[in-house]
Amino acid sequence: MNLLKYALAGWLLACASVAQAKPIAFSHGTTVMAEYGAGTMTEAQVFYAPKYFLSLGGGYLELESDIDHRRREITYTRLNYLVKRWNMADAQANVFVWGGAGQAYVSELNEHEFAWNAGAQVDYETRRVYSSLKTDLHHASGFEHRVDTLQLGIAPYKHDFDTLATWFVVQGRQYTGVIHEGTEWALLLRLFKRGAWVEAGVTDDGKLQAMAMVNF
Amino acid sequence: MKKLTICLFALIAGVANAGTIEMKVYGLVCGFCAQGIEKTLRKNPATADVVVSLENKLVAVATKEGADISDAELTKALTDSGYDVKGIVRTQRSLDAIRAELKQ
Repeated sequence: MNLLKYALAGWLLACASVAQAKPIAFSHGTTVMAEYGAGTMTEAQVFYAPKYFLSLGGGYLELESDIDHRRREITYTRLNYLVKRWNMADAQANVFVWGGAGQAYVSELNEHEFAWNAGAQVDYETRRVYSSLKTDLHHASGFEHRVDTLQLGIAPYKHDFDTLATWFVVQGRQYTGVIHEGTEWALLLRLFKRGAWVEAGVTDDGKLQAMAMVNF
Repeated sequence: MKKLTICLFALIAGVANAGTIEMKVYGLVCGFCAQGIEKTLRKNPATADVVVSLENKLVAVATKEGADISDAELTKALTDSGYDVKGIVRTQRSLDAIRAELKQ
């Protein structure tokens, strides 16, 4: 719950910004993304967007307990949908939702189960400030995990199409579910240019948090 | 004869430089936005070159000689990419001139 309070405060302070890696990059574009959080989660996704408001694809999410090494390996297909976009002169805001289904491996039961997922993201960004709030739920008969992520970022300069974008990002992430509970904070350096995006940083536990994404 | 020659040169110069279309676009805040727009516009067989400037909210298209893209077609391309077109003008500026101006 604390994260939700921080999220609300951050949201207001940042003038209701939100935006991180979007589940839909652009029409007829393909997005490949991989994310690694040491001791917590690893995720990879591939999506193709036939329209600017719709993308289809799949992913793999591995959640691991850093206490007893129980883990969930979730393979899923997913549909992402842009519910609403606001294009402003110097800003953009979006509301995305997604849902899908797949299979989850539960290590302590040594079983594979049917699993479904659902989530949403709200974002607002300019070329200097952004924030994003995302919630991602995975459910199976043997577990339910939710990962809520808040990101607030600031850019030291305005980038343009052909220049490198640099962002300093504070990330708060709350894990809900039996395997991993709690809030984790991270400081990230994000760089992107044209269709390539990399970010890396450390969590408050001193662990590596990294993400890479390519759009083409 | 001299007047006719001048008119002919002016006409040729006008035609040669008439293929630049500049659009003011809202929602351009990141390189990914620009990448999608550039990719879409380059697919059009009439497109010779594209310049996108986030700073100026500008998308400029140079068309191939003798080719054109209608305002409706451009608006649809940008709207289908998820952006809002706020204005379209046809100018005499070349894309090289626009690039040079953007670098200043």
